[in-house]
Amino acid sequence: MEFLAKGLLSVARQPRLINNLSQTFRALSITPRLLQQQKQSLVKNAALANKNDKVSEVEQKECQDVFNKVNTQLAERKEGRLFAIVHLCGKQFKVTAGDIILVEGYWPPTIGDEIRLEKVLLAGAKDFTLIGRPLLPQGLVNIKATIIEKTLTHTKTHFKKKRRKQFMRINFQRSPNTMIRINTIEVERKVDDPAQVISEPRIF
Amino acid sequence: MVSPTLALFVRSKGPDEFWRKRRIFKLAAHFRGRKRNCYSIAVRYVHRALVYATKGRKLKKMDMAELWSRRVQAGCEQYGITLDTFKDTLTRNNILLNKKSLSDLAIWEPKSFETLVKLSRERAVVDSLPGLTERSVMNQVYGLANLKLDK
Repeated sequence: MEFLAKGLLSVARQPRLINNLSQTFRALSITPRLLQQQKQSLVKNAALANKNDKVSEVEQKECQDVFNKVNTQLAERKEGRLFAIVHLCGKQFKVTAGDIILVEGYWPPTIGDEIRLEKVLLAGAKDFTLIGRPLLPQGLVNIKATIIEKTLTHTKTHFKKKRRKQFMRINFQRSPNTMIRINTIEVERKVDDPAQVISEPRIF
Repeated sequence: MVSPTLALFVRSKGPDEFWRKRRIFKLAAHFRGRKRNCYSIAVRYVHRALVYATKGRKLKKMDMAELWSRRVQAGCEQYGITLDTFKDTLTRNNILLNKKSLSDLAIWEPKSFETLVKLSRERAVVDSLPGLTERSVMNQVYGLANLKLDK
């Protein structure tokens, strides 16, 4: 399987732009739209470079078969319950439809807001898994969620004492909590669609 | 005639003494013996308990991280790859799942975890990293490979 050495590029059809670790970590800290605003020249250069790689016909066909199987399952809506690993507020959560997530800390969205969770690292069903490197293409997996509760944590007592030195401090701390209900997880597009440059306007 | 001197020996620290001490006794309700009922003994142990609670919040995070690491290690050792090599190959493939997610997958999504392990084994071979061994027969969760769910 030496095609894996070429980084699965022709198969995944994503330009090989994220090839060092600092760029990869940037992907999680900035929104997916900025990530995919690739310069056209870079995209063309990547495509040219990859044309010269020799991927054997057999392996190409095997990968295409896998994609076709997944796409037929998606078309017939037989994939079943989907789970996803989503990156939210610096933490990763494994979610499925109907879950409630707790996010600790200051987070602006209020009760009743309906949100789409976009930084999906991995999505899976009974028969297949989609692994993002590091994120899946934006819009491939649609995770809809609603904010249901905004509360504070229980009171945490921060107590410091140095024995025999008459030093004792006590502080009480409560930080905001948000409860999010995951409504649905769906795969929107076909799995082997080439990565697109996003042109829709984003709110933030 | 009653001596007033005896009454003077009883010293109260003020009208709020009861409630000040009650704050301590509430935290010491589940202690053993005189630590539960006698103020000057209870105070010391309540202070120790609060210090332990404060320090424990950091230790809990460290403990959880260690637990997740051990779970992922157990999962990938089944397939004959070490934890360092597994994590290294995942980062080389730009897969940025953290310890918590990997341990969740290892427990609840064994097939997905197996695909990640296979990816990392391939990459380890290609990049010639150490840490690959034969998949051990003795090291399996018995019967998982043969698990047939209801159809």
